[in-house]
Amino acid sequence: MRRVAAVAEYIFKQSFRNKILNVLIMFAVFGIGFALVISELAQEVEVKMVTDFGLFAIGLFGFLTLALSITVQMFEETELKTISMILVKPVTRLEYLIGKYIGITLTILMNVLLMLITLMVIIQIRGGDPWSLKLITAAGLIFISLGVLTSTALLLSVISTSVPGALIFLFFIYILGHLTMHLKHLAEAINNTAANIVINIFYYVLPNLELFNLKDKIFSPSGLFSPRYLGFVILYASLYSFATLLAAAYVFEKKEY
Amino acid sequence: MNVIEVKGLTKIYKAQDFWKNDRVTAVRDVTFSVQKGEVFGLLGLNGAGKTTLMKVLLGLLKPTNGSVLILGGDIEDRAVRGRIGYLSELPYFPKYLKAREVLSYFADIFGIDEKIKKHKIEEVLKITGLDVRSDVRIKGFSKGMQGRLGLAQALLNDPELLLLDEPMSGLDPLGYKETREIILGLKKAGKTIFFNSHILSEVEKICDKVGVLHKGTMSEIKTVADIVKEHGDVEKYFVKIAGEN
Repeated sequence: MRRVAAVAEYIFKQSFRNKILNVLIMFAVFGIGFALVISELAQEVEVKMVTDFGLFAIGLFGFLTLALSITVQMFEETELKTISMILVKPVTRLEYLIGKYIGITLTILMNVLLMLITLMVIIQIRGGDPWSLKLITAAGLIFISLGVLTSTALLLSVISTSVPGALIFLFFIYILGHLTMHLKHLAEAINNTAANIVINIFYYVLPNLELFNLKDKIFSPSGLFSPRYLGFVILYASLYSFATLLAAAYVFEKKEY
Repeated sequence: MNVIEVKGLTKIYKAQDFWKNDRVTAVRDVTFSVQKGEVFGLLGLNGAGKTTLMKVLLGLLKPTNGSVLILGGDIEDRAVRGRIGYLSELPYFPKYLKAREVLSYFADIFGIDEKIKKHKIEEVLKITGLDVRSDVRIKGFSKGMQGRLGLAQALLNDPELLLLDEPMSGLDPLGYKETREIILGLKKAGKTIFFNSHILSEVEKICDKVGVLHKGTMSEIKTVADIVKEHGDVEKYFVKIAGEN
């Protein structure tokens, strides 16, 4: 456990001192702040607009933080060969992988929290309720979806031999992950067995990121915020992340450096 | 007692072509041993298989054939890995961290007791001469200082066996001298050291025994004293062996 904590702390510390990540966080906070300007355009629904834009920015900048963290880690491990100095020490590859997962998710958590606080301040300025449970839940689910994406990114980082390759696939999964519902409809519409099988594989293998997207439902009466739905989404995220990390651990164990 | 025991070691790589049909034999049927307290230098031209051999010893690559025993056990064993130290060629550390922070991380990975961790860090900083720069961010370190930090992390667990991959690489003559003095100090302390290097004059000053790896095959293993007696110096010997093959 101490070794897992050491790896997590090291990656977290390293990320927070990385200049590019710091600039990204600054951009993220300014980005949310930009919601104030945007809200001027909408006279009557300005709180809704601020909230929508803020949650969209949290999701986007959270994903960019993940992509950047994975890039930095992969570059150092494979191109600068730092991984060999770690793996020859008495740490198992599974411990290292879990530590890395925790370290990256902590980095994302800090970033999401910073952006959420900024958004809450702006909502307060605009006369809305910054402590709305729906707002906090929506932001929490964005963070959980990023946790799911982190496990996927780690799997890609151990499968791929190049940093650009892993990044391209990560962006591809991020986009398709938000479109899986459409994939299902596409499979139903196409009258071809082979195409159906391929589309269904994509549908079940890719993370369904739209499950975590509640930002559009904050201002509409909807059952999606029910404890039952939230429980289902958290269970889905846990199972998906566990399975993906297990696959990553299997590949990582076999990998030669 | 043999600290490293290699028998009939062969490593064949799958080539990087798309179908991975081609095979490259990097190390072929290598057998040798290194005894406790010995400093063993592995010599060879670029592409001779030195790094591959080192990586197999460290468990980073799996042998295709043959066996490797490190400190009488399997390198996959956590207890065995806790008794070795490794310095990679041109080690890299995150620029935004300080030497002390990097060493604290590696100490945790080694599982060094919190009570003695601080003392151990101070000790290796002193051995490597980094004690005066330990609170400076690595961004301000020269290549030589980064190399010394690499050596410091390898010494944290007071290893019985040290594996050093080109420890003099990228250093200036003063860096050679400092690194040589550290290695000789470790030799005096009874550590077993296995290292590969291109700097033959340093190999001659540091090693007890050298092995020449050529096209993946271990050509010959001799003591430095015998080489100097028969050939004058290690460089002449190496040129002769590499030229013959």
